[in-house]
Amino acid sequence: MGALAAAIAVGLGALGAGVGNGLIVSKTVEGIARQPELKGQLQTTMFIGVGLVEAVPIIGVVIALMVM
Amino acid sequence: MSQYENMIKRQRKWMFYLLAILVLGAGFTPYTSIFLGLLLGSVVSFYNLYLLQKKIVDFTEAVAKEEKARGLGTFSRFAAAALAIVIALRFEEDVNIIAVIIGLMTSYPVIMIDFAMFKNKD
Repeated sequence: MGALAAAIAVGLGALGAGVGNGLIVSKTVEGIARQPELKGQLQTTMFIGVGLVEAVPIIGVVIALMVM
Repeated sequence: MSQYENMIKRQRKWMFYLLAILVLGAGFTPYTSIFLGLLLGSVVSFYNLYLLQKKIVDFTEAVAKEEKARGLGTFSRFAAAALAIVIALRFEEDVNIIAVIIGLMTSYPVIMIDFAMFKNKD
């Protein structure tokens, strides 16, 4: 049961991170393609977005390893 | 220097200050295992922060030059966090595992406080 719990924790965490990162990256690419001069600002927004989205899956990985 | 480069410099500076405080705590206080855990977690968190900053620069440069973009390194960061936990589980008597988890999250307050303080100044 521990392995199953770990798999569900990591899997659902990574699923959420994948969707979130996908949305952030797609909008950033669209923005840079339209206005390359705004690259610095878009990099900052993307950095903060990706950083905060990945906090929860990292906790998921930690919990999964502790459960196993 | 761009807004992003300034932010990277500030975040690196604050992470180094934090690591210095944790090294002093591990060396000079009786709570060695807690500070070692915080140190291990913070080092991995700093590596994750560096990797994220570098990968975002590489990615956006590739997009701006219309080259093929590589990934963002998500799984490298997960693997780094897993490595920290495996080390903490292996040396359970020397390293406090709760402190490692708190240490792993140190880069997020740094990002958020830096953003909140400097969003209107840059």
